Amino acid sequence: MIDRKTARLLTLAGMIVFVSTIAVLLARQFNLGPVRPAPDFRTFGPPTAPVQIYEYTDFACPACRHAAVKIDEMMKIYGPGLRVSFKHYPLMNIHPWSLHAAAYADCAGAQGKFKEYAGLLFENQGTWAQSKEKPKDFEIYAARLKLDWPEMQACADAPETVKRLKLDIAEADMKGVNATPTFFINGKRAVGGGQLVDQARKFDNLLGRAAKQ
Amino acid sequence: MNGKTETKELIGFLARLAVAGVFIYAGLLKALAPAEEFGYAIESYGVLNSQLSLWSAYIVPWLEIYAGLLLAAGVFTRLSALFTGAMLIFFEVMLGQAWLRKLPVTSCGCFGSSGGNSLTREFLQNLIFLALAWAAFKYGGRWSADKAVETL
Repeated sequence: MIDRKTARLLTLAGMIVFVSTIAVLLARQFNLGPVRPAPDFRTFGPPTAPVQIYEYTDFACPACRHAAVKIDEMMKIYGPGLRVSFKHYPLMNIHPWSLHAAAYADCAGAQGKFKEYAGLLFENQGTWAQSKEKPKDFEIYAARLKLDWPEMQACADAPETVKRLKLDIAEADMKGVNATPTFFINGKRAVGGGQLVDQARKFDNLLGRAAKQ
Repeated sequence: MNGKTETKELIGFLARLAVAGVFIYAGLLKALAPAEEFGYAIESYGVLNSQLSLWSAYIVPWLEIYAGLLLAAGVFTRLSALFTGAMLIFFEVMLGQAWLRKLPVTSCGCFGSSGGNSLTREFLQNLIFLALAWAAFKYGGRWSADKAVETL
């Protein structure tokens, strides 16, 4: 038989476990964890920018293509006020080649041409995204940008690249991302280009001030 | 109560809070990051396969948070201190074997994956925490829930 003191302590321990579990789960949901930085080649804008955007993107998703145009426009308008980091969230159940595209884009980034390669992937989405066999387009884009294709292939298969992609996906899952593009603008979530612009407007003062400096 | 005992109890209390703080902090950093991140760190110790590493990565951060909170509140103080001590000994064994086998552990995973000290530094740091856990076990009963419940 448990004595009274032990029963009280057990109740208290149960309460501590329960409350702390809920608190940590809520903190996860509200994106309060430490921010895992994206690699330098996927990050654009000054580190001191007052507005930081993290975009979870999929190269085969049409909405991500439109959002990429919006992001480019915003970077032109707001300049030093904005820093954008791209993270991969390939929706592999509907886009069979997204993960490959993400890996190749990162490997193009390792050779200094992430943005250019990503641009070609978005631009030509229709030709490679729903291909039945592994698309030749990845190699064609690499050739067009004068990238070292054998090196890109080796890089795409490297455990380090696979690990980086898996961590991006795991992080997105943990933050409750389930659609692309999903943005976190100074921690505030926005899904799709429309919400991105709406959320960004809330930081108009910060963006405007930084643009004037 | 004489002055010597009081000093020991104060040290025990502070040690209890210090160990608890370290456990809560380390657990939170890992629980708020993807488990895969810590899973990769565990895998690099070459003891568990990827599947078991991932399972451990799901469980360990929560154990650290719970153990830290129970120790801070002084609920089953001696048992909580013993448990944190056992965890620290386990971490020491993992670090020690990786150091002896000269494994290329780039991030020990102790405080999430972002910060990475050398294995030797983490090993020595854990020895200090272990000493504090011992002090908490031996003299950490003051200002604890255990004591508060006794007086109710």
